[in-house]
Amino acid sequence: MFPISVKTLMVGTAVICLSAAFARESKADVAACPSPIPLGLTTALTGNLALLGTQARNGAEFAVDEINANGGIAGKKLALTTEDTGASSTDALNAMNRILEGKPLVILSSMISPHVFAQTESVTKSETPFLVGATNAKVTAQGSKWLFRTHVHDGQLADLIPEYLVTSLHKTKPGIMVVADDYGLGASKGIQAALTKLKVAPVAITSYAPSDKDMSAQLLEIKDKGADSVILFGRPADVTLVMKQMGDLGIKLVVIGNTSIVAQTTLNNLSATEADGNYAIGGMIPQTSTDPKILDWAKRVQDKYKVPADNFTVSYYDTVYMLKGIIEKAGCDKPAIRDALAATKDWKGMLISYQADANGDLAHTLGIYRNKGKTPELLGPIKESGF
Amino acid sequence: MGQLVVNGLALGSIYALVALGLLLIFNTVQIVNFAQGQLLMLGAFIGISGAVTHELPVAMAWIVTMAAMAFVGIVFMVLVYFPLRGRPPFLVILTTIAMGIVLENLALIIWGPLPVSLPSPVRGPPLRFAGIVISMHQLFIFATLAVILLLQFLMLTRTRFGILMQATAQDLHTARLVGIPVNRTIAVAFAFGAMLSGVAGLLVAPIFLAEPTMGGSLGLKGFVVSVIGGFGNLPGAVIGGLFLGLIETFGARYISSNFRDAYAFIVMIAVLVAWPRGLFGEKSSEKV
Repeated sequence: MFPISVKTLMVGTAVICLSAAFARESKADVAACPSPIPLGLTTALTGNLALLGTQARNGAEFAVDEINANGGIAGKKLALTTEDTGASSTDALNAMNRILEGKPLVILSSMISPHVFAQTESVTKSETPFLVGATNAKVTAQGSKWLFRTHVHDGQLADLIPEYLVTSLHKTKPGIMVVADDYGLGASKGIQAALTKLKVAPVAITSYAPSDKDMSAQLLEIKDKGADSVILFGRPADVTLVMKQMGDLGIKLVVIGNTSIVAQTTLNNLSATEADGNYAIGGMIPQTSTDPKILDWAKRVQDKYKVPADNFTVSYYDTVYMLKGIIEKAGCDKPAIRDALAATKDWKGMLISYQADANGDLAHTLGIYRNKGKTPELLGPIKESGF
Repeated sequence: MGQLVVNGLALGSIYALVALGLLLIFNTVQIVNFAQGQLLMLGAFIGISGAVTHELPVAMAWIVTMAAMAFVGIVFMVLVYFPLRGRPPFLVILTTIAMGIVLENLALIIWGPLPVSLPSPVRGPPLRFAGIVISMHQLFIFATLAVILLLQFLMLTRTRFGILMQATAQDLHTARLVGIPVNRTIAVAFAFGAMLSGVAGLLVAPIFLAEPTMGGSLGLKGFVVSVIGGFGNLPGAVIGGLFLGLIETFGARYISSNFRDAYAFIVMIAVLVAWPRGLFGEKSSEKV
């Protein structure tokens, strides 16, 4: 029997009462949520960006379905409304305006940066939390306090890829090859700047249009100029063509680039020889996990959508679960959700932990991958400096 | 240099095949089918469904694809050409563009957004000499183009059907009055035009992968090639295609890869300024 003083008893009682009061308030907040809880998503489901957009949509939708199947949030289901942006920024803005008409609690948007740039002002005016996977480093530098990014960005890749190539792989004569759009050209500039800091000059700087099919001219230029490696930035379909055509032309150089190099959609169309030995740094992919639960998740996503889960699928899946946790605590008050997103610290997602920085970037951990034949292997995670 | 020539000619051969399909329809009904690229995409996906999904032998998949594409061509004619026959040509052209968008989205629904590869009908190690690599599939593309060019030339100039096609193109109403089965002639032209695009799709898929949006750019290049060669001209389409393939490849290598797509249109404008009817002229007096 432990003696308890009156003071201790009073303090203890006060703490219990306060906790109960806060718990009631929290429950009351969730109880005040609309039913169903409306979420919006705009992403590319048609046009030449449909593959990326579909993979992101699959992640968000899969999480929503799982949450709803498990009783929703405090008994309230999530309702995800999706609008197609196609491949154009104008269509992306129109899609966002249609989403805004439905007064969603939170909006998820594209991984295509020009689309997000076009939408940011509208969403900011609506004072709705806005979560994106867009990879242009400047997306979160627009000064919108409502905008958050849950995927790694090109600025991180542009620093880390050259650094790994030069310091770990000891290659000093890279050729650069990127898709000639906002994504690739932005990355190319960052890569060139990072190489300059490392006192390395690229021997060739090339690009290809998103619709290009024959990359031989660019590859031959890189080869003819004596490159010892290729820094490749593109999307799975075009990265596949580059790697296939390197094989056809007998060009054997180390390739390093974004996660398109290790994406399942890329590897499905390459031979083991074409894929082998190439490196990627970027958002984490589930296929390399040793956790049976994660592999099972990837299999279930693949079975449901007939499209392999990629880094965007993981990122958007995590985003929905992060929101679930926030709504459970903060209810359906938009400013409270925004504040909770801005205060995110060490939130454990499927493959990485998320932490908000001052700009609204939440993802700071990347994976370094290498293909062993047609199987991507995780060499290890790499963190952005300061995280 | 030699490698660039080989790759440029291979790419140009694909453009030429698209242009030949365009030309067949144009020579019959004087309409430019801007959905020709999407028909190519459809051919590629039908081939993949046969060879990959249903595991048919590649040769059988080719036969099935060509039969399916002939049917698609006739359906295309019934949906797009017949309802608008006799209306201003730009209406039909706009409808073909709309049909291309429909086909693209239909493919997205049926086959999804994933890029897919088709096995080549020819196997074997590539030929190598003087540092130049020529794959078996590239040789197959050259051979296929040559055979199709010859067959199309013979059909248009040496067969009764070719004469009927030309008569229909020159004056549809008079052709009907003199007993030419105009509708049947047009149907065969659409069927063959779609089949040619299907063949181009089957040739493209093993080297460039198939995806729903692949047709837009290739169809547009086929149009550019037709303009450069001179609309309605068979050798012009082939020479224009090969020429454009080389221009693009060499331009990307020695000028800038950033403007690769622009070269096609710069060349087209330059050719039209110098030769308003294209390099090899045209029979039609109307311009697109």
